[in-house]
Amino acid sequence: MKTLKTYPLELSVNGEWKKTEVSPEETLLHVLREKLGHNEVKEGCGKGDCGACAVLLDGKAVNACLTLALQAHRQKVVTLKGIGTQEKPHPLQESFVRRGAIQCGFCTAGMIVSAKALLDEKPDPTRDEIRRSISGNLCRCTGYKKIIEAIEEAARKLKRSR
Amino acid sequence: MTMEYFSPGNLSEALSLLGKWNGRATLVAGGTSLLPDMRANLLKPGVLPELLIDITRLKDLSYIKRDGKVIRIGALTPISEMASSRVILKYAPILADAALRLGNHLVRNRATMGGNLADASPAADTAVPLLALGAEIVMEKAGRKRRQIPIDRFFLGPNKTVRKSDEMIKEILFPKPGPHARMAYLKLGLRNAAAISVVSVAVVVEIEGDRCEKARIAFGAVAPKPIRAYGSEEILTGQEITEPLIEACCERARSEVNPITDIRATAEYRRSMASVLLKRAIQKAIRAGRE
Amino acid sequence: MTEFKVIGKPIPRHDAWEKAFGLTSYAADFSLPGMLYGKVLRSKVPSARILSIDTSKAERLAGVKAVLTAKDVPQNESVTRFGQTHAIGGGFEGLYRVLADKRVHYAGEPVALVAAETEKIAEKALGLIRVEYQPLPGVFDPLEAMRPDAPQVEEGKANIITHYEVVKGDVEEGFSQSDVIVENTYRVPFVDHAYMEPESGVAWIDENGVIVIRVSTQVIEHFRGVADVLRLPHNRVRVIGTYVGGGFGGKEDITVESFLALLTRKTGRPVKLTYTREESILCHSKRHPYVMTYKTGAKKDGRLTALQARLVSDAGAYVYLSPWVLLYSMVNAAGPYRIPHVRVDGHTVLTNTIFTSANRGFGAPQVCFAYESQMDELAKKLRIDPVEIRKINYLKKGEALATGQVLEHHVGLEETTDRAACALGERPRGKGPIKIGRNIASGMTSYGKMVFLHDTSRSYVSMEMDGSVTIRAGIQDIGGGQASSLCQIVAEVLGVPLEDVKIYIADTALTPLSGTTTATRQLYMSGNATLMAAHGVRKTLLRKASEMMKVDPDRLDLADREVIDQEGTGKTLSLTDVVKACASDGLPLYHVALFKAPTRNLTKYERIEGDVFPDFTFGTHAADVAVDEETGKVEVLKLVSCYDVGTAINPLSVEGQVEGGAVYGMGYGLTEEVLLEQGVIKTPSFSEYLLPTSMDVPEMETLLLESGDGVGPFGAKGIGEPSVCSVAPAICNAVCDAVGARVFDLPLTPEKVVKVLRAKNRTG
Repeated sequence: MKTLKTYPLELSVNGEWKKTEVSPEETLLHVLREKLGHNEVKEGCGKGDCGACAVLLDGKAVNACLTLALQAHRQKVVTLKGIGTQEKPHPLQESFVRRGAIQCGFCTAGMIVSAKALLDEKPDPTRDEIRRSISGNLCRCTGYKKIIEAIEEAARKLKRSR
Repeated sequence: MTMEYFSPGNLSEALSLLGKWNGRATLVAGGTSLLPDMRANLLKPGVLPELLIDITRLKDLSYIKRDGKVIRIGALTPISEMASSRVILKYAPILADAALRLGNHLVRNRATMGGNLADASPAADTAVPLLALGAEIVMEKAGRKRRQIPIDRFFLGPNKTVRKSDEMIKEILFPKPGPHARMAYLKLGLRNAAAISVVSVAVVVEIEGDRCEKARIAFGAVAPKPIRAYGSEEILTGQEITEPLIEACCERARSEVNPITDIRATAEYRRSMASVLLKRAIQKAIRAGRE
Repeated sequence: MTEFKVIGKPIPRHDAWEKAFGLTSYAADFSLPGMLYGKVLRSKVPSARILSIDTSKAERLAGVKAVLTAKDVPQNESVTRFGQTHAIGGGFEGLYRVLADKRVHYAGEPVALVAAETEKIAEKALGLIRVEYQPLPGVFDPLEAMRPDAPQVEEGKANIITHYEVVKGDVEEGFSQSDVIVENTYRVPFVDHAYMEPESGVAWIDENGVIVIRVSTQVIEHFRGVADVLRLPHNRVRVIGTYVGGGFGGKEDITVESFLALLTRKTGRPVKLTYTREESILCHSKRHPYVMTYKTGAKKDGRLTALQARLVSDAGAYVYLSPWVLLYSMVNAAGPYRIPHVRVDGHTVLTNTIFTSANRGFGAPQVCFAYESQMDELAKKLRIDPVEIRKINYLKKGEALATGQVLEHHVGLEETTDRAACALGERPRGKGPIKIGRNIASGMTSYGKMVFLHDTSRSYVSMEMDGSVTIRAGIQDIGGGQASSLCQIVAEVLGVPLEDVKIYIADTALTPLSGTTTATRQLYMSGNATLMAAHGVRKTLLRKASEMMKVDPDRLDLADREVIDQEGTGKTLSLTDVVKACASDGLPLYHVALFKAPTRNLTKYERIEGDVFPDFTFGTHAADVAVDEETGKVEVLKLVSCYDVGTAINPLSVEGQVEGGAVYGMGYGLTEEVLLEQGVIKTPSFSEYLLPTSMDVPEMETLLLESGDGVGPFGAKGIGEPSVCSVAPAICNAVCDAVGARVFDLPLTPEKVVKVLRAKNRTG
């Protein structure tokens, strides 16, 4: 079998610079999960239909499964764990929990990433803007209602704290 | 299988690589069409390119600008920017409409104008308004050799264009629509996001008084490629706009489209909807002008 | 009504916090050193003889550690009871075949297994396995498969798996008394569960030689079936259930478990197997398609006189739970209505398509679409309001279903209908080609397993020395708050804050078995078992406290980590003091309880009579839709769901189930279909199989009524499956109201709506 050609990859994940070797067809999703230990980024479909793998790449919400790992070279990736932690939860995480927006939880990581991208760009979103900003994140459990309400509540909380 | 990767820092580098590897290299930009295709190939042992040329670092190919009487869009402009660009919203709102209906918000942050055209789906969302805007596509190859093709000659069939394997789309341009231009875009999908078109239509008409001086009508998902409906355009051109005229125009459209039956819809339904959507688009375009 | 401390409060769930921080380890998130990757080779043809399988090239590929086919499976075929400990007969058992042997019966059937050092190598190895197929004629439609000359799906077995009937009175007599009769055939398609988490698991052999399978599943008790496949004693296979990223019935049958056990056993190394989404859609069970012919008769004043239904369900290529699902449909077929004459005939039939099994609702949503469309047709024909005609016919508590089962608990149909219809508010106005429609549908869905299945659940509750509490229960948590509801119950009974309760779930080696997370049974069964276990601990504590406080135990209560005298003497004792005293006296500070559901036995299965279910949840949906008459596109503007949930243990969780069920049902009604052509799936991914997105969902309102009359803990009823039942018919009835024409098969695509409109306009 021919040896696979690999290339060095350097990227910042949640503020920490990481180095690894990848082959060209490896996706950012695969590398985050299998090589860099970021299991919070989920694979739901592998082809951009479900949004479970959404991460922020240089501030923009994208499907990690549709991004080649090498395309993230020297760039900044933010996952759910970079948005908030147990020690310092983000209002989105708090609202998602308190408003019942999490059931099986598999869509949650991608959903909160998309919501964060929205609130970074539009701190005062309308309901329609919220719906559009998560249009690429499928949820099979909640019917989206409590997710939308949680994002609205988080937006209000963030506005108040400004 | 071994695949190589290169990420050129400038256009000349990219083009020269493309030329050297002619046919054995594949360009990758947003990856939103290429990666699912590669995945499908990987799932059955298939053909993968020998070299991936990643053009996402060519940031100066991402622009939207008004250049005198022409609007120019760089091939690497992300679809999400099309939806919010002041220039597009002002001069070509149908492009913003189509961009907003493409895929979902995550895909739009990566998918590019050039990529959407190069992929050449018969339902390609941006192709339809671009056809109605009379756009031209600029391609370059090594040595900065350039050619410019009107978009209605660019597509050959499903996922097939005139672009040669050593060429890259560099820019899309269209004449800045005049003060009398009215336009509308409509897309029919089976759900409200992430829906491949069942039928889509774009109309750009130039209205003076009650007369339609010029008309361009384009359809997506009703033929092997996105098309212009020249016959329907002829019916409108130079005529006073009346209900019967619009009816005749839409009736004509039925015979200009050549849809297939697939999992999303039958050919007959698409044919009917082409006519229904065209009527609505024409009425919407005319009304838009009056606001 | 008692004032509860935590029951009935909308508190956040413990697992929600973990999920919000990305800490939950789902099945695919787990790895072990030296782990191999498993892959499954599947048939691309729906019906064929396997002439030969050549695995030699695959075995020689560097990095491949195992290639297995049917001959390598110790017990490749077994007749499974699907978790039942005793045989029931009546077609309730079915063939479980691990790998295809001499034939393949559906496209997607597993033929070979591979384990390799990397996923890429495993994938490559699949491509190197040469299978020689000789295509055989197949049958792809259940009605065709019922014909005597149809090709046999399973050699030597009839395609018709089973036939049931329900007979009450005499339908011919009933029809002769009818002033109006409505007769229609309804069709519903294959749909996918489409959980966001694809099937996945990791298996390994532990230091005691036990095969451990850590898997996303609704049923950890498949350890018995897997042990049988490997011809191992049951106590040598351990299943650990993870928090599941969505189940809905799709992870109710064995998915990856047998494959993992075989590969880890063969290689001696840990093995991970995760399905791709395409693989999941291709090869896991689907909801049963049904063809339902209904004939309903009524008097001028709206009273139902007779109902006759013929149901045919497509079982796909293997039996699985088809007879069970059909039985549900049989009991539900006449709906929650008083009908003097009823006859239902049901068949479930094998075809060379993907096998069908459990899916949220389990045969109830299918017939609800039929019987609620029929009610609407009658309402139209008789010019009676849809709400009124139902109220005339709704069963009441104390009355019986057509099968003879008396409804012993509250039947909340009238009030749910009134509340739902009222909550729609002012009727929106249409414009141009957009027509507005408004309508309702009611449904009934059982919760708790069929009573002749002798269901039980077990739970263990113990108090630690510091007053914190531990629960151990086999309960599988699939996102519906199954685990957290048990914590709430224990916190209530033991008077401790919710955060003092920790639960360990779903381990066949370490947790008492609580049964399957299916049939909307967990709150009822494990909730009751946990209630009993908690009360066992409470009793011990209060008896000791009563000694220490010299107060009658009946006066004592547990609250805020204290024992308090309710008679207001101000006497209290800290919980930890009582605990220590109990420990010092050698008193057990734990309790294991077994809750046994009341059982009846069905004497014959062919004609269904008597009690089948413990209880039902009743509810109504009211919908406003906007239909574009020219394109046929349907937008649901507002959807009101009103259910009598008995008691809402956690209103946030209950609302979540209702809202999620509403969108699950909306997808069923409008956009979802697994399309097959000659047994081959044409909707392989989420690009083709269309789920509702955030931009498709309507304004939703959830109204919860609490009769307190459920058989679950604190009078709760179940809601997981009932929340789906009447959604699609409510939307379809609203569409019919909008355009004056009905579509008789789901999903209501725009094209189908246009078609019926054209037909209507032609006939004038």
